Amino acid sequence: MSLLGALTYHANVSLLGHAALRLDRWRTERKLGRMPTAGPHLGPPLATSGWLKELISRHYLAGRHANRVRKVAWVTSGAPIEHLKALGYYLLYPENHGAVCGIRRWGERQCQAAEDAGYSRDLCSYARTDFGTVLSGKTPVGRLPRPDLLLCCNNICQTVLYWYQVLAHHFRVPLVLIDTPFLYAEARPYMLAHVRRQIDAAVEAAERVAGRSLAPARLEGVMRLSHEAIGLWLKIMQTGRHRPAPILAFDEFIHMAPIVEMRGDESTVAYYRALLAELEERARRGVGALQVEKKRLLWDNLPIWYRLRPLAEALASRGVALVASTYTNAWGELVELIDPARPLDSMARAYLHPILNRGTGHKLATMARMLEEYHADGVLLHSDRSCKPYSIGQMDQQRRLAGELGKPALLLDADHNDPRAYAEAQAANRLQAFLEVLGV
Amino acid sequence: MANELTIPSRGEALRAHLDSGGALAAVFPYHPPRALLRAHGLLPVEVWGPPGRSTAAGDAHLQPYTCSLVRAGLAFLLDGGLERAQAILVPHGCDSLQGLGSVLLDFVKPAMPVLTCYMPRGERDLDRAFLADELRELAARLAEITGHRPGDGELVEAIEREERADAALGELLARRPELALGERDFYRLVRSREYLPAEAFAALATRALALPPAEGARPARTPLVLSGLVPEPMALLDALEAAGATVAGDDLACSGRRRYRPTRGADAYARMSEGMLSGPPDSTRGSSVQARLDHLRGLARGSGARGVVFLTLKFCEPELYYLPQLRDGLAADGVRALDLEVDLAEALPAPVVNRLEAFVETLR
Repeated sequence: MSLLGALTYHANVSLLGHAALRLDRWRTERKLGRMPTAGPHLGPPLATSGWLKELISRHYLAGRHANRVRKVAWVTSGAPIEHLKALGYYLLYPENHGAVCGIRRWGERQCQAAEDAGYSRDLCSYARTDFGTVLSGKTPVGRLPRPDLLLCCNNICQTVLYWYQVLAHHFRVPLVLIDTPFLYAEARPYMLAHVRRQIDAAVEAAERVAGRSLAPARLEGVMRLSHEAIGLWLKIMQTGRHRPAPILAFDEFIHMAPIVEMRGDESTVAYYRALLAELEERARRGVGALQVEKKRLLWDNLPIWYRLRPLAEALASRGVALVASTYTNAWGELVELIDPARPLDSMARAYLHPILNRGTGHKLATMARMLEEYHADGVLLHSDRSCKPYSIGQMDQQRRLAGELGKPALLLDADHNDPRAYAEAQAANRLQAFLEVLGV
Repeated sequence: MANELTIPSRGEALRAHLDSGGALAAVFPYHPPRALLRAHGLLPVEVWGPPGRSTAAGDAHLQPYTCSLVRAGLAFLLDGGLERAQAILVPHGCDSLQGLGSVLLDFVKPAMPVLTCYMPRGERDLDRAFLADELRELAARLAEITGHRPGDGELVEAIEREERADAALGELLARRPELALGERDFYRLVRSREYLPAEAFAALATRALALPPAEGARPARTPLVLSGLVPEPMALLDALEAAGATVAGDDLACSGRRRYRPTRGADAYARMSEGMLSGPPDSTRGSSVQARLDHLRGLARGSGARGVVFLTLKFCEPELYYLPQLRDGLAADGVRALDLEVDLAEALPAPVVNRLEAFVETLR
């Protein structure tokens, strides 16, 4: 790290960037405060949204200049990262960046750039978005830092492993794999031990690249912050159990960004405390995320990033609140597996157990439990062409939900980041028919 | 020449095995623990599709963007094609196979037990140790199913039998240019490893290797490397032969990527684990792009091939991801590449044949 690099970083991020983003937050909060509703059928906007925008923007701004001052790791969304945080790495999540591209309608052009370079259109659209970004150098967040290390944990899919192998070949940097055996049933002790051994190896690899040793107290501190943020996130989602629900899953898709990419940061804990307080206050006052809430639904799978707003408004116009999702729930449900006093064991246990690393029957059981807890009337199952591990099983799950549980469930064909795989009119027709079944 | 070498068909071999009182396990790709199954009295019979059949029954459970190998396999099971199997094993090789195993266990629930086995995605010592544990776990389930708990001697005997068959497979692939077998017959022979008992396959391979070369020189053919999962539809091999080419280098998941190395040691489970992770680089086992590229370069160099045909199944992510970088790396060495995409449920499309012919032409 050169002195000039450090000065440039602090001038751009800590001084100018900080001031500009704070000003933008202040403006956003003022604007939100003047908006009685977030849309024609939606309730008032969340006041903390300005703060969220500042957090995310600051994260990408820091990333833009990170190579000057810190080691950078690109990591998969389900990877254990607490040791990297404790070692001072800047973390970039290509999946989250993919979501940003999706929301800002950059998904198609990034996918196309990857396809132009020979990558098949049948590959995951997050991966194609990432390849397109790497190859074109273009991104809506300005610039992504070059990785010094890649950390891949396949507890969300096998796709990430092939994806990161491609990145490792491109950047010629070390790739650390944490290979989590898929849990068709309960985890066996040897599986847990296997993950733990790999976390130890991952720590050693990260220390080598960082050129420093991991301080146990620092790791425990990061783990405490992670644990606290995950607990807060779970409580935030659980406010959706109120009638009317003060938050929609559509909001959660946006507000989940810090729990994924800023887990272990103090600012994430502070932000989630504020968001929880706002939602609890809304629940206490009976303020809903919809102006009129008639029916409540559960969402399964990744969001359709480029159609979040239209879908939210289409459902809101019929009085349908999307009160929970298995996707956002995945970032909170494992809180009890984490013991900050035993960080490495906790990491092994928690990161072996995400919903995507467990069987199709487990997901059905999770949906059944959430339907009850959130008083939901049915399920929207996003059949996501780009996410096989999340989607395979949905056809049987749909039949069981409708049959044994008596909960109508719609299989909605789309793709989380590639709008070319989404047929708007067909989806609208199917959604309309489904809502008629629900009686709204 | 193939007439002098009788290769039993899958159906003939299975009938003979069952008639003699043997039992079967239906096994999905990619790296089955054959020795473990045999030691428990189950002949592993691999399910690669089968090709050319309707996937309709499977389509009620799996979305159309699941690869056809998995959809065809599930359809075959639901249509009663695996009813003689005493167990079904779905090794964890990719997201689609993961989904298949899970859907079978949680929803389809066929009459016979469904077993799984997680293949680690690395070749580190800790991966070998994990796989040995996974195989011990699988052995406990097999013992419950078959009522037989093989001792160490039985396990070692089974391992060595499989290793002899693996060596025979390696010999067949290495001496391919000398063998007076057409492309289809050669792959019928190689792929009989998928269903014959190891000792029967080894004996058959030995006979094939001992056959005299064809009368007169075999017409000069354009050597190619064939990469992919499985050479299906087999009509592709006929097309390749008609175009004047031959598969001189095999990088197929069903054959060339299963040239496992022989093992040693006192612990049978450690040996099986070591053997299963000893094959050539394979994306389904998480090998790096560079390792895959080096392997393909080696196959091309060793066989004199100036072209690689990547035969991919639609939606097969383990194969599709690496293609651009493999193509670029090969091109830097002056090795051309051709991508052909097929669907197991469909006949070989005419445009694929045309592209193959044109590709072979460019290599002359």
